[in-house]
Amino acid sequence: MSQRATSGGNRLGRLLCLTLFTPIRPQWVPVLRATMFLGKWVPFAQQHILQFNFIRFVRWTIVSPALPYNGAPQKRDKLKYHYLFFESNFDGPWQHYIDAFAYCIPADIRLVWGRGHDFPGPPPAEPLKRWIAMNSMEGGTYYCAYEHASTRMVVSALTVRDRFKKFQAETRGLTPAAFRAAYDRLLCDVQGHL
Amino acid sequence: MGERRNVTGSAYALTVFTGIIPGREEELRTTIESLPLGPDSPIARLGTVHTSRLQIFDHLVHQGPSQKRESLNSNYLVFTAAFDGELEAFLDSVLDRIPEADSWWRHCVGYPGLADRAAFRRWIRHNQIHTSLFAVNSPNRSVSDVVESLALKEKFLDFAIAAHGLSDVELQDRFSRTFGEAG
Repeated sequence: MSQRATSGGNRLGRLLCLTLFTPIRPQWVPVLRATMFLGKWVPFAQQHILQFNFIRFVRWTIVSPALPYNGAPQKRDKLKYHYLFFESNFDGPWQHYIDAFAYCIPADIRLVWGRGHDFPGPPPAEPLKRWIAMNSMEGGTYYCAYEHASTRMVVSALTVRDRFKKFQAETRGLTPAAFRAAYDRLLCDVQGHL
Repeated sequence: MGERRNVTGSAYALTVFTGIIPGREEELRTTIESLPLGPDSPIARLGTVHTSRLQIFDHLVHQGPSQKRESLNSNYLVFTAAFDGELEAFLDSVLDRIPEADSWWRHCVGYPGLADRAAFRRWIRHNQIHTSLFAVNSPNRSVSDVVESLALKEKFLDFAIAAHGLSDVELQDRFSRTFGEAG
């Protein structure tokens, strides 16, 4: 089977792009805006969001009921609700990780989507999986510059590179014996990332 | 404020909704789903894009009895990208290096074409929806940082295996020859 046939428009190499577009209850829009603002500017929040080492990029966009309009022949859309556009790029498939979301950060999940219409707030995980499958926007085409590397592989490679550069800077002009000692320390430091 | 919300570290999250000319949906779907994948993708030519997706929104999912039913009057091409640097530089790169962009956006209402650079920039900005929250695993690492790091890691692993058992002098010499800088 070709890569095209298996991609589904959102799968490439080790990466999956999950896109959801779901309505927000009107009274929850300001709360969600405040939550997103804090998530952006409170330093700890970003670490909290990315506590799972399989997520590479994730975005939330609150979409106003009036979608971008460019004149005729486009028909104007003025929806009844604000919508939450969610896109996550992570090491797939997503079904493997929903348990982690459902049982490790259920409060976060409920905060963002729990005021949506008929949202099955976790735990348990199975109703959440069904909800994601129902709302996942399929099709199209997907690109990643380093599709064959998992997020953990990327983080490890960056760690190795940083330590390697430090090693190069520190070992210029050393004797062979001192170089060996520094090299052994380098190996010890990065062995968990190789 | 709006622009800053799209940025985390050195990465920019772009989200663009453009209305599709009625009747062009299937031709557009065929176009984007026929684009080459991976390193052959036109997006790869930019060299600064981490991830990108093009897809068609042609329906809204009804969530259940507590939601009022609604549907789209128009269908939309949704373009997203996470890239290094500023939006203007990204748009310049698209204009210079992705002539294929005409093949998908020409099916959208009001698309001015790539030839009119200023109009293209205005059209993208008009249809951009600012990000509310953007989280990045390695926020200050460029695409080239990641690609080079992955290659270096492989090269260093090969070196470490091959260098096992070398004398101190041989190790230093081989490292210098392999990585280009004297130890």
